Amino acid sequence: MRPGVEDVNALEVRALRYRYPDGTAALQGVSLCVAEGERVALVGPNGAGKSTLLLHLNGLLPEHPSGVPAVHVFGTPVAEPHLPAIRAQVGLLFQDPDDQLFCPTVWEDVAFGPQQLGFREPGLSERVSRALAQVGLGGFEDRLPQHLSRGEKRRVCLAGVLACDARLLALDEPTSDLDPRGRRELKALLQSLPVAQIIATHDLELVVETCQRVIVLDGGAIVAEGPPAEVLSDEKRMLEHGLEKPHILRHRHPH
Amino acid sequence: MHIPDGFVDGKTALAAGALAAAGLGVALRNVRRAFPPRRVPLIGLAAAFVFAAQMLNFPVAGGTSGHLIGAVLAAVLLGPSAAVLVMGTVLILQCFMFADGGVTALGANIFNMALVAPGVGYAVFAVVRRIAGGSRRSLLLATAFASWCSTVAAAIACAGQLAVSGTVAWGVALPAMAGVHMLIGIGEAVTTTLVIAAVAGLRPELLRESAAPEGRPRYAELAAYGLLVALGLAVFVAPFASGWPDGLERVAAALGFQASAARAPLFAAPLPEYVVPGLGSAVSSIVIAGSVGTLLAFGLAYLLARLLTPPGDAGRRGPPHGGAPRASAA
Amino acid sequence: MPGGAGPRTAALHVHQLLSPYHHRSSLVHRFPAIGKVAGAVTLVFTVVLLPRTAWAAYAACGAALVLIAALSRIPARRLAKKLLLLEPFVLGVAALSLLQPGGTLVFLAMLAKSTLCLFSIVLLSSTTRFSHVLRVLWRLGVPPLLVTSLALMYRYLSLLVDEAARMHRARRSRTFSPGRVLAWRSSATVAAHLFVRSSERAERVYAAMCARGWRT
Repeated sequence: MRPGVEDVNALEVRALRYRYPDGTAALQGVSLCVAEGERVALVGPNGAGKSTLLLHLNGLLPEHPSGVPAVHVFGTPVAEPHLPAIRAQVGLLFQDPDDQLFCPTVWEDVAFGPQQLGFREPGLSERVSRALAQVGLGGFEDRLPQHLSRGEKRRVCLAGVLACDARLLALDEPTSDLDPRGRRELKALLQSLPVAQIIATHDLELVVETCQRVIVLDGGAIVAEGPPAEVLSDEKRMLEHGLEKPHILRHRHPH
Repeated sequence: MHIPDGFVDGKTALAAGALAAAGLGVALRNVRRAFPPRRVPLIGLAAAFVFAAQMLNFPVAGGTSGHLIGAVLAAVLLGPSAAVLVMGTVLILQCFMFADGGVTALGANIFNMALVAPGVGYAVFAVVRRIAGGSRRSLLLATAFASWCSTVAAAIACAGQLAVSGTVAWGVALPAMAGVHMLIGIGEAVTTTLVIAAVAGLRPELLRESAAPEGRPRYAELAAYGLLVALGLAVFVAPFASGWPDGLERVAAALGFQASAARAPLFAAPLPEYVVPGLGSAVSSIVIAGSVGTLLAFGLAYLLARLLTPPGDAGRRGPPHGGAPRASAA
Repeated sequence: MPGGAGPRTAALHVHQLLSPYHHRSSLVHRFPAIGKVAGAVTLVFTVVLLPRTAWAAYAACGAALVLIAALSRIPARRLAKKLLLLEPFVLGVAALSLLQPGGTLVFLAMLAKSTLCLFSIVLLSSTTRFSHVLRVLWRLGVPPLLVTSLALMYRYLSLLVDEAARMHRARRSRTFSPGRVLAWRSSATVAAHLFVRSSERAERVYAAMCARGWRT
């Protein structure tokens, strides 16, 4: 914390509202913020609006922006003409890594983002190698996406956004279909990255183990917010919102 | 219908290649201009889809099964220009990765299956749709008949290329290719229509997106393709249209090969070699045989459409526009 | 087209064809892609343009290809199997050429040319990564939209073929007496679902491309 310099939050959402094209309300005035370097979890039942919220973080939604932008990333509003810079800073990881890994080889996919930003050889290959090493996939440059495991695909997507020097990671269900080892590896990876993270997830154990704060979303509105141990221990409230108290909090040992 | 290397000679490969390149160029220009950016990845994915669909089994008889080609399927689902690109993509990948279709024959294969098939198919589709109205039944009728026509048209073009190259005599190529594909075309019509019917039942709005914003088929696009197809037919087929079969028989007689010409045909069709027994003139025989075949196909298409239309949908227009699909909920 | 005996075998076939150079390295594999593509295309065009009776030239080309195949260290049986898979179709079309004056000569020439060209392309696809071929096409000036479509098709082909096989299997397990009509409807429904899913995936891919800075 440098005195005298204004602290800009990595993410600030103010009264975000969104309706689906068919009229149903998806987000009803959601406000939250994520500080630099903080790891925040977004939990809630299916249909709560978690994915929809994440899609607002880099301007993919709303389809037709109007009025004052409700989302600010590092102080910049998420709207034209800042979108290219925003999209470099916000690393959005989709639920299905196959949607995001659309290039024929791993190298090309990780290089895609930097190429859009204007990077060319020789710095480009360096960037790609560095990002792949960061996610523990050094040497995977020539591999084909169709031959990777689910966890490896996820990590390649992560490398793709790290290669753009993303400062805020937005992850949609990152551990949802991983086997225990994949999950462990991803968890360790997320913990090792110093950047701000907002993680939409059903994996409540992950929330307790890695996040400093948790936000509970239900029906498009925030119903609870606070440290995971506190919020997720409230069994009654958890059940109310389609969740449950994670096992890890049921058997807390003093040591 | 993928022609391997060695079956089209240099001049034919060149001519077909030029036409194919022109057709792809037109399609690229149209798609860049009129296709919404968010649908651009769909071309690549649709190409993968067409290929995957070509692997589906449609059992015919005794262990054999038919397979979809997919040109009209792509045209109805995505519009004519996107369909040209989709089929072109499929053919290029098949050529280089799977050695399905020769490199020198790529121009001919693209002309036949990525230009003639979707172009003729969509033109027929648009015309039938225009005449028969906007109902579900007319959609299926148009799809079925267009699929059949596209298959036969592509086969005729293919026969022409083989004959012009001197690989297969026109007198053999036309009945073999066009005749067989008049039957294969039925399979294509049925499979394509079944798939379109299923998509119409699942997501009618997907079909509507391929139509022009004004709701009218895009005649301007089709004119360019029509020109290229006509040019191709002029080069590959017209040389034979007038001279056949008199020329062939004269050559055969002169070289003493009359006996081999009289050998039984490979495929015993009810109208052998397009000569209706009893009719003297070859040209009128072709016309009659072709017309009978086409009318039969149209009739079958109509029956199929009636079979597949859900009761009550016959005269009704499709359901009202339901809006874009929701963002995924989580 | 070498059609599948059912979606599952077809899926395996596709997987095998899409990555034939897996775990292999040789002089030929390491040779730059543009050279291999140029070489293969040149050979194919040469063979096709040779006069029909240039048997000596055919033999020379054949010898060159066998040499390259040996250098590539791909098991001969694997290459032979691929060729044999494609030959019947060639034979079928070639047989039509028999039905004309001087047909036997044409037939043999067709066979020789086609086989040589097939061999050439099979070698090319077995030793070259498709992504490199795409890069060659790009550099040659092929329009970006076409290259992108080829890339996406290549990337999602195995995924879609797997989905089709899975859906087909699921439907089969719910059908007790697979009559022909039912089989056709089943395949058609699988195809329809496949298209719908592909359509939805295309939108998500577009969103993913935009999320990483792609501008039209």
